[in-house]
This record gives sequence, structure tokens and C-alpha cells, in this order.
Amino acid sequence: MRLRIIRAYIYKELVELVRSRFIVMVFLLPTMLLLLFGYGIRMEVTGARTLIIDNDNSVLSQRLIAKFEHSRYFRTQVEPISEAQALRRIKQARADVIVVIPESFEKRVLHHQRTGIGVFVDAAFPSRGVTMETYVRGVILDAASDLGKERSANLIAINQRTLFNQAMRDEDAIVPGLIGLVLLVSPAILGALLIVKEKERGTIFNFYASPLSKWEFITAKLIPAFLLHSLNIFVLFLWAVYVFDVPFRGSFWLYWIASEIYLLISISIGMLISVVTRTQIVAVVLTIIITIIPGFMYSGIIMPISSMSGPSQIEAHIFPVMYYNHILYDVFLIGEGIESEKTARYLGIMIVYSAILLGLGRLFLRKELK
Amino acid sequence: MSRTFWAIVGKELLSFIRSWQLVLVVLYSFTVEVYIAGSGIEINPRNVAVGYVDDTGGGISQKILARLHGPEFLPPHRFKSQEELSRAIFDKEIIVGIVFDADFEKNLRQGRNAQLNVLLDATAASQAYTTMGYLQSILLDIAAPDLPIDVASHKLFNENADNHTFMALTEMLSIITMLTVILTAVVFVKEKEQGTWDIMLLMPVDPKLIILAKSFSQVLIVMAGIVISLGFIVLGAFQTPLNGSFAAFALLSFFYVCASAGIGLFIAAIARDVMQVAQLSIIVMMPLIFLSGAWTPIYAMHPVLQTVSLASPLRYYIEGTESIFYRGSGWIDLLPYFGGVIAVGGIMYWIGFRKIGRLF
Repeated sequence: MRLRIIRAYIYKELVELVRSRFIVMVFLLPTMLLLLFGYGIRMEVTGARTLIIDNDNSVLSQRLIAKFEHSRYFRTQVEPISEAQALRRIKQARADVIVVIPESFEKRVLHHQRTGIGVFVDAAFPSRGVTMETYVRGVILDAASDLGKERSANLIAINQRTLFNQAMRDEDAIVPGLIGLVLLVSPAILGALLIVKEKERGTIFNFYASPLSKWEFITAKLIPAFLLHSLNIFVLFLWAVYVFDVPFRGSFWLYWIASEIYLLISISIGMLISVVTRTQIVAVVLTIIITIIPGFMYSGIIMPISSMSGPSQIEAHIFPVMYYNHILYDVFLIGEGIESEKTARYLGIMIVYSAILLGLGRLFLRKELK
Repeated sequence: MSRTFWAIVGKELLSFIRSWQLVLVVLYSFTVEVYIAGSGIEINPRNVAVGYVDDTGGGISQKILARLHGPEFLPPHRFKSQEELSRAIFDKEIIVGIVFDADFEKNLRQGRNAQLNVLLDATAASQAYTTMGYLQSILLDIAAPDLPIDVASHKLFNENADNHTFMALTEMLSIITMLTVILTAVVFVKEKEQGTWDIMLLMPVDPKLIILAKSFSQVLIVMAGIVISLGFIVLGAFQTPLNGSFAAFALLSFFYVCASAGIGLFIAAIARDVMQVAQLSIIVMMPLIFLSGAWTPIYAMHPVLQTVSLASPLRYYIEGTESIFYRGSGWIDLLPYFGGVIAVGGIMYWIGFRKIGRLF
């Protein structure tokens, strides 16, 4: 390793990044992604357009409707239309939920005869369909237990404690996970273009012909990308804490160190792609495809790892984002830090992971014509 | 006229096939990638990990736990103490922890108000919500079995709320967007980079014809990809129901791909090299894809984003596709989606067309 040469090469890389205006992308993309996802993704459903058809018009049915009207999850409309007309509204995507209260609903309930409330949910968007169904059931159940309390006092109360995110805010649950996704995608794209660009333009021959060693080449290519993206670690932290109001309960040191290691992993993924592909377009498309989708799926944003089954469980463990996101959620919401044995283990895995990727990049990099 | 057109189209297709890495990547995106997205994830609460501490004799507590079963719940895991349980929750191995304390059963039997302590990991909000709903209904059923209200719920269009087909379908739509934009832009920018684009515009062939033919060749490639993806993965492997008309979907896709090609043209007009195409297309595509309603329905977004999303042709395409596949809407109900795609797409294609066709 000859530091003087590496320094000169790093300088050249930085100048190139600035001249090609790629530097704008380095800082614009992570922030843009975080803001877009952060404001764009909503897990909870508020204001579902609910159509209630009340065929009973009794005190009991009015009480049920009032329950719906007082919930912020529903935007209720009571209309005397037929079921077929209501279904047609869902078909045109003008309503999300239909609740049908049957005739003589009150009479049957008071006489202990079974009666059914019809609920139709638009499940063309499946996860929302399920969520809305859960809410509707919850409201009806709530009304039913009110009724139960009036009749017999002996009910089991649930003393519920929500951990880590007491207010159940979507931002708290999503934004830390997004940092893991953003710090995977953006550095990987930068890394992917670093070497393949020279191959396509033919300037790679400078490297073939120069006495520069492979390690020196890789170091010189990675360091500028690494340093520039290191700034993003702080920028993303500021967005999360001050714009999205996510609490930060852990140690900042742990966040910083884990993020730097993770950065090394994602740049190395890009570099590995850059080493094996021949044209820039292939490198870009490949990077987007293998980072965004798995990055989102295995980030723990939409699904906890413990709920995955079989193959997905294994894939999640192969992909780096799971380890980093565990640490992210810990420092933002939980705050156990390195004392937790699992966090320490995951940090170790990330270090090994980055070493393996760098080794692979060195292995596949050629320094001569085929 | 038309001979020149087809000659250019043929030339572009040939140069696409010659770059075998690119062919592989396109095929991979349309098949394996769509398959992974579809099979990999389950957004619906399934296999929720439940842990419990039981200090009672185990009569009623076991009755309650026995009703937390698959596919929604993993078999409940017993912990010796509350500390152990909270440690597992903190390590994210357990999502819902239930604590039956010593006088829970006693209180219940003596007719006093019994209390059940539940710990929820709220970072997995939808799992936590669902479990609460289940617990509530189980407890109500045990305490007041004579309450005669049933909820008969129907999830329309997708009775099992099967998420696989939906994920596969939206993933295919995202890939269509990405590939069309990048492929089209690169076809033009490569010529720009090598300095042959100015020569093309100076040739005695109408430049409009060249632009049309070049972008049409990329539209053809993507349409072929759609057919492969639909046949093998979306309809083949996942058996997605196709309730509406296939012709409507093909036509809508064609218009949409042309609209995306317009975005590609626009990017090609601004960018000077492939590196810039990469940056620009990511900056343009990301908002396009994530504001389209593929991940969160439009009306659930921030109001500002809702307005912005009106300009995204993908929005109309996705809503239209959902309607065709799941809701099985007829042609008349689909008109707004066709209108949206054609209007936004037409404007985009026209702007891109004008910009790239200008010499110097």
C-alpha cells in the first residue's frame, strides 16, 4: 500500500464525482428516498370510506353506527341503498367498507337469537383489506362487550402495554427501517458505477498498465464513496429525529459505528456488481433489482423476521439488511445497546460480512485482458 | 418510409440481443425477481410469535392459549418469568407476550374483575393489532358466551387476502416502469456519448421516424417481457385470477409502456452520458413508483403527495390493472384509467420527443 499514490487516486476520483455531478445524487437520493417513503408509506388505515346500510333503524343499530362515527379509522356514511348498489360502489373504488345491519337486529339480540352483521371489505389491496377487517371487527366487538357489561359484569379486562412505540405512530415503526434501506440502495448504486464506468470507456487500461496493485485500486475507489456517504449517516439521523420525530433511545456511538460498517457492506455489494458486469446499464439495473426489493422485504418494516417462514427466513439471514435493522430499531426505539447479546452478535456478523464482500471483490477483479 | 422504420427497429433489437448480459438481466427481472417478490413476503399477520408466563393453575389460561393457533399464530412459547419474556420481546423474538398472574383465575372464578396483562411489540403494529382483536374476541366469548352477534365478513375480490398475487403483480408493474425508462434513455444516450446522434439527425431520414422507431423497439422488448412475466409467473406460478378482459390489460400496458418511453426520451434529452441517465432515471422513477399506490393506496397518503401523484401515469396504470385483475371491471369503468394513462403519457412522450429531436 503506497499512501501517496492512493491519495492521488482518491483525489482524481473525487474530482470526477464532482465533475460528473454525481455528487448531487450522493446527497439528494438518500434524503429524497427517506422523505418519500416516510411520508408515503402508511400501515395503519385512517378514514376508510365506510358505507353503512341500516335495515333495522333501532336504538341498538344507532349505537353501533355511533361507534363507527366516533372512530377516526372510518369516514362513515349511512345510506338507505340496496346491497347491490353498495357493491357497485366498491367496484368503482368509491367505497372501502360496507357494513350491513340486518332487519330486526335489535329484536333478535335481545331475544338471544343469533344474528349476523354483514361486512364487505375491498381486498384488492390485500394488506389494507385485512387491516380494515380487523378494525371493523374491533368496533363491533367493542359494541358487543359494552352490551355484555350491561348484562353481566364478569368480564376479563385486558391490561395492554405497548412497548417501544406507545402512541403506535407509523413514523416510529417505519423510519428507522427506511434508513437501513436507503443506506443500502444509494451507496450500492454509487459503488456499482465506479469500476464498470472505466471498463465501458476504456480507461480501465490505465489500471491494467499501471503498477497500481488490486488492493490499492479497490481502496482508492471505495474511500471517496465511503467518506461522502458517511455524511449521509448524520443527515438521515437528523431527518429521522427532527422531521419525523422518531425518539432516539440508544447510544449514538453504536448507531454511528454500525452504520459505517453497513456502509462498507453496501458499497462493496455495488463494487462486486461493478467488477462482474461489462456495461453501466447492466450494472445499474442489476443493483436496483437486487437491493431495493430484498432490502424492503427483509428490513422488518412490513413484516417481523420472526413471522417469516421457511425459505424467506433463510433469505433474510443471508441478506445484510436484517442485521443492521435490528441494531437500528434497537438504538432508535428500544435502547438496550451492546449489552444485549443479540445486538453484539449481529454487529460481529456485519464485520465478517463486509470482510467477505471485500475479499470477493478483490478475487474477481482482473488486472489484465482476458 | 415504413421500410426505414422497420430497419431501425430491427437494428435496435439485434443490438439488444447481442448484449447477452442485458438480455439476462431483463429476463431475470421479469421472471425471478417477480417470483421472489410474490413468494417472499406475507404482509398479512401470520405466524405471530406469542410468548406467555403462566402463574395460575392453568385451566382458563390454557383454554385461552389453545385458541391462538395457526396460521395466524405460532404455537405459544412458555417462559418461566416475566423478565425472560420481556428479554425475548426486546430481542424481537416474541411479538406478543401474555402474562397470567397468580390471582387471574381466582378473580375470574369468584366473579370479580379479572385482568390479563398483555405486552405488545408496537414496531410490528399490524401483528399487534390483529392479536389484540383475537384476544378480545376470545375473552368475550369465554366470559359471555350468550352474546348472539356474528360478524359475517367478506373480503371482496380476494377472499383469502392472498398477498402473493398482489405483490407479484405490482412488482411486475414496477419493473415495467424501470426497464422501459432506462432502456429507452440508454438507447439514445449511447449514441450521444459516441457522437453518432448528431449524425443521425443530419441524415436524409426524417429524425422523427428515427426517434419513433428507436423508442418503439424498446417498447417491443418490454412488451415481450410482460408476456413472459404474465405467462410464466403471474398467471402461471401464482395463478392470479384474471377477472377482467385480457385485451384491456394488453392495451393499457401498451399505452403505459409508451408513456414510460416518453419519460425515457426526456431523460435522454437532458443526460450527457449513461452515468447521468442512471442518476436521473432513479430520481424520476422512485417518486413515480412509490407515489403510484403500489405500496400504499393513494388516499392514505399525505395530501400534498396525493396531488402530486395525479401526474404519475403509473398511478392510473396500477389502479386500472387492479380493476382488471381483481375487480373485473368492464370497459366503461376502465375509461378513466385509459384516459389518465393516455393523457399523462401523451404529454410526457410529446415533451421528450420534442426535446430529443432538436439538433444541438
